[in-house]
Amino acid sequence: MQHFLRHFFLPHHSNNHRAKALHIDSLLCYVLLFAILNLSIKIIHRDFPSVLGYATDIRVDALLASTNAKRISLGLNPLKLNATLSQAAAAKAQDMFSHDYWAHNSPQGKTPWSFIVNSGYKYTIAGENLAKNFSTSGGVVDAWMASPTHKDNIVKPGYQDIGFAIVNGVLNGEETTLVVQMFGAGGSPIAEVPKVETVIPEVAIAVEEPQKLVQGVGSSVFKPIFNIPTVTRDITFMFIGLIVGVLVLDGIVISRKKIVRVAGHNIAHILFFLTFFVALTMVQRGALL
Amino acid sequence: MKLTYVNFVVLAVILASGIFTFWGAQNDKTIQLFVGVATAVAYVLWGMIYHALEGDLHVKVVIEYSLVGAIAIILLLTILWT
Repeated sequence: MQHFLRHFFLPHHSNNHRAKALHIDSLLCYVLLFAILNLSIKIIHRDFPSVLGYATDIRVDALLASTNAKRISLGLNPLKLNATLSQAAAAKAQDMFSHDYWAHNSPQGKTPWSFIVNSGYKYTIAGENLAKNFSTSGGVVDAWMASPTHKDNIVKPGYQDIGFAIVNGVLNGEETTLVVQMFGAGGSPIAEVPKVETVIPEVAIAVEEPQKLVQGVGSSVFKPIFNIPTVTRDITFMFIGLIVGVLVLDGIVISRKKIVRVAGHNIAHILFFLTFFVALTMVQRGALL
Repeated sequence: MKLTYVNFVVLAVILASGIFTFWGAQNDKTIQLFVGVATAVAYVLWGMIYHALEGDLHVKVVIEYSLVGAIAIILLLTILWT
């Protein structure tokens, strides 16, 4: 065992003074192993989603409580959950899945306001926040609060009502948990939404078609035995840690023994892997719009 | 020695640019993947130029850098698309 570890992790005459873990055939094995890992995850997830899947715990009551807690902490009125606005949010979510888009306005030109008007809600001001692929209700609201344009909607004093839809589906080929949050206050139509130009709702109503509503939009709660994002991150970061560790050990031993060999530069490889480590920590599954 | 110093400054610029651009492309996985692949390719090219200047460029070294780049790309794919 000791010989194997030395052969695999340390430069030695048995491995031509380069840790076996850094040999070309080993590097090729890592590429193949990760390719197999990715393929296995997709197959297991497809066939056994309760074993390997995407954990979510997003509920309307938690989203409402969290949103109102933010408002109350700023001295604002809490919003009332409005069934009509929730219907509009559900229709918007269904439209996004049906036409495969991730935007406030649909490719067919439908605006958020058209869904609100079609649901029967009459508003003076309205707004829409979108989120996808978050795993918890608190994560969704925290992300919205961290985004100035979405926060503006959450803490706008004029709103009275709020509606939510939480819908699972496939968007742009990716399994997605979509959260639509719609705000409103009664009266004649004026609308607001982050990063979207205000439109004249009367024009939109004239060209709008009736929306199909979706069922079961109150929550998305799923707890597989293994959560895919956790599994992939753990494996990836452990691998990078291991490979950087071997590069450091290999470099130290070679430097001390002053061995000259034909191989890549360890410090360069370490910097490269650390760069990717930092980049990978920046990857967020959840996204806002 | 001076040449090595300059080479590593160039490498630092390549990697820092990659991180900065990757960070700027948050919320767009396709662009992040493109940035990751571009950074890996730039690293492989840097490795080849570095070893050519050092006078120890060998096919084994080219394969090593290419595989290191491939590992980084598949790690990125693992995190981005699963």
